Amino acid sequence: MTNPEAEREFRELLSETPVEIDRRTPPSLKARLYSALIHEQQKSGPLASLDETVAAGYGICVFEKLVQIAPLDKEAKSRFFCQVCHARVLAEVFDRPPIYWPQCPYVTFKRT
Amino acid sequence: MKALAHVPVEGEPAKSHDAQLVSAVLRKDRKATAEFVSCCSDWIYPFVRRRLMPRMEMVEDLMQEILISAWQNLPNFRGEAGLRAWILGIARHKIEDYYRRRIREAELQEDDSQTVEPTLRPQMEEKLEAAAGQERVEKTLAYLPEAYGLALTWRYRDGKSLREMAELTGKTEKAMERLLARARESFRKRWE
Repeated sequence: MTNPEAEREFRELLSETPVEIDRRTPPSLKARLYSALIHEQQKSGPLASLDETVAAGYGICVFEKLVQIAPLDKEAKSRFFCQVCHARVLAEVFDRPPIYWPQCPYVTFKRT
Repeated sequence: MKALAHVPVEGEPAKSHDAQLVSAVLRKDRKATAEFVSCCSDWIYPFVRRRLMPRMEMVEDLMQEILISAWQNLPNFRGEAGLRAWILGIARHKIEDYYRRRIREAELQEDDSQTVEPTLRPQMEEKLEAAAGQERVEKTLAYLPEAYGLALTWRYRDGKSLREMAELTGKTEKAMERLLARARESFRKRWE
């Protein structure tokens, strides 16, 4: 029943899709994936605290900085503050969100 | 790939950067996780998109499934082949699971009637030039019943053998042949 001619032709037809090769991940998709993965990480316990993040050499955004210097315990500093940030909401919807905070991961997604 | 904080110095082996990134993600560092998502999604997006087109609504679900699976299996990452190859391996398995599930669920007629397949028209090949032709291929695939589109993609784009397809979907090789013959026929009708 196999038709070698049809097999060959369909293989040629479907084997190349050059227009797809350079497609970049839409920034809004990255933003949603990031939020989803963070939620998944939180299921097994708190995130690393902001102090640990800074100690590891990563930068934090202006809002996170405020939390980091506030007299809060480690648990409070381990929450996912982006959850209540407008930058996250905008970034999950728009590919070019009007957000410009340095060290905000959602800003970084739109540049990558 | 642009790192959010840790940028490997020139000459630093990629594997070393992978190991540092994985270690930071396992500590649940939010910034490392952002970097992980950014680079991993860039690696898997073209792979997933190409195999699920035109069903774009499934791309996001599957990418999320891949990243969460990667996170869950990250403690097992040994770094021999690098993070990129590792996560593409997970993506490949997830795509195959999806194909298998959808094709298995499809209603396959079990009649043995032989279908005489016409060869593709010469004009069809002539029109297969560069992007315009490829765009038309994608649009034609979009109009096919899902199981047909997936079967054609699996067979001719990913190069799966009939035997593998049959084994993975729990069908006989004959049934897969019939499915592919009907899928090709359906493709031709929509192409014309």
